[in-house]
Amino acid sequence: MKHKIYKLMGLIALAMGGTFPHLIAQTSGGLDSTVLDRLNALEQQANYQKPGNDHFMVAGLTTFGFAASKSTNTLGGVSAISKTNSLADADHYEFSPMFLWRHGKKFLLEFEPSFSNNGLGVNWADVSYFAAPNIIIRAGYLVLPFGTYAKREAAGWIDKLATDPMGIADMTPTDYGVEVEGGLPLGSMKLNYDVALSNGSQLLGNGTLTSGNIVDNNNNKTITARIGWLPFSNSSLEIGVSGMFGKVGDLGSPYQNATGNMYAFDLNYVKTFNPVLVNVKAQYNIQNISNENYVNPNDSTQSYSFNNHTTAGFVQCSIRPTEANNFLKNFEIAGRYTSYNLPGNSTFGANQHSIAVGLDYWLTWRTVVKATYETYTGNSTASKLLGAYNGTTNTNTFYLQFSIQL
Amino acid sequence: MKRYQPLHTITLALVLIFAITGILSINGCAPTKAVAAKSGAQLWAENCQRCHNTPSPASFSAEQWETIGMHMQTRALITQAEREKIVEFLKSSR
Repeated sequence: MKHKIYKLMGLIALAMGGTFPHLIAQTSGGLDSTVLDRLNALEQQANYQKPGNDHFMVAGLTTFGFAASKSTNTLGGVSAISKTNSLADADHYEFSPMFLWRHGKKFLLEFEPSFSNNGLGVNWADVSYFAAPNIIIRAGYLVLPFGTYAKREAAGWIDKLATDPMGIADMTPTDYGVEVEGGLPLGSMKLNYDVALSNGSQLLGNGTLTSGNIVDNNNNKTITARIGWLPFSNSSLEIGVSGMFGKVGDLGSPYQNATGNMYAFDLNYVKTFNPVLVNVKAQYNIQNISNENYVNPNDSTQSYSFNNHTTAGFVQCSIRPTEANNFLKNFEIAGRYTSYNLPGNSTFGANQHSIAVGLDYWLTWRTVVKATYETYTGNSTASKLLGAYNGTTNTNTFYLQFSIQL
Repeated sequence: MKRYQPLHTITLALVLIFAITGILSINGCAPTKAVAAKSGAQLWAENCQRCHNTPSPASFSAEQWETIGMHMQTRALITQAEREKIVEFLKSSR
């Protein structure tokens, strides 16, 4: 009986094979090869998409705006008024793509060229090696760890006001060197450290400093270090102290023993006090250069000297609503006081102060439109004997600025 | 230069205090249990806003967040554990 049933099933199968050959193809080796071909193709495609160790990306920022200012200079009882207005905001325009290469999780290359009013320059170009969990070794053209403003807060899409605080970023060199840095847990607190060894700044013939020389102007290297302390477990407060020490004079020049010692103190406090987010930032820089004799610009047979002591500091506070509708939550108000005192009896001495207030509207977390009004007062303390005294200058400037990071 | 000697001394003293605390930290101090238990979302909210607004996870791809995380560690000097948790949160929230 069983045999009869098997024979009958075989006949039915043969009959179906003749009538519906495509059904047979779908249930035998023909189907397998099609699926296998498709699987192989997909596998190949997936392999092409599978990331390797090297990753490359481009981020970056641009800042564009408008500035209108009125400046009054008073010298010898005579006042001169000048008015300017510029699109592109020449002092603050910037287009800076940032190139990031990552090799696995150990190496990172960063390169940020920048096109600005000063032409095409480089903000930084360095390689980082993540040597151990909290130890990063870096080398190249680095923003030195002096305070926090230049390294963390200066970008247009981060800064709450359209302008930089006077002197703060200028006193933070970018230089060729090596650096070791990292963040460390400390119970409920945190510490971070940053130490750099670089070619160092160069003292110019008028007593000012310049930096970023790829060939060192002397055999001495400059050490720059910063320690930051975050005492609260929510990381809301960070206070830091920095120092920069080195020789600054050209080897073989009358200034070859000149030294530059700089100190910076910084504070950053960000905390939500419903219904607002409060953001306080401050930094104070001190720069002491040894007393040297400089050539009188009006008579090269004569020399002059001055106490080469510079200070710059700012305090900034901004407030942003956290409990409001989506439109209001995008607004932020900011205010800042800045003081920048350049050495008296030099050719560039001045006591300068500025107050800036601003209203920002955040289009996204990294796109902002800023309206800033800044008043500046500068009293020249430059040498009258050298003919450098420049009286008093008062400038009021309105900025409208757009800044984005992508 | 003698005029600024007290400042020099104060700065060196502060650096010394911080350095000693740092060495203590390297040699055994670890985060407390509460700090170690913080989620990536919490660390993202606490640390990113120290410098800028908290970023939207959708801003970058998962691979890009790895790169951005390394870049930010060199800037903000967050710890490696914090970076890994923040990046993981950003990648999983896209």
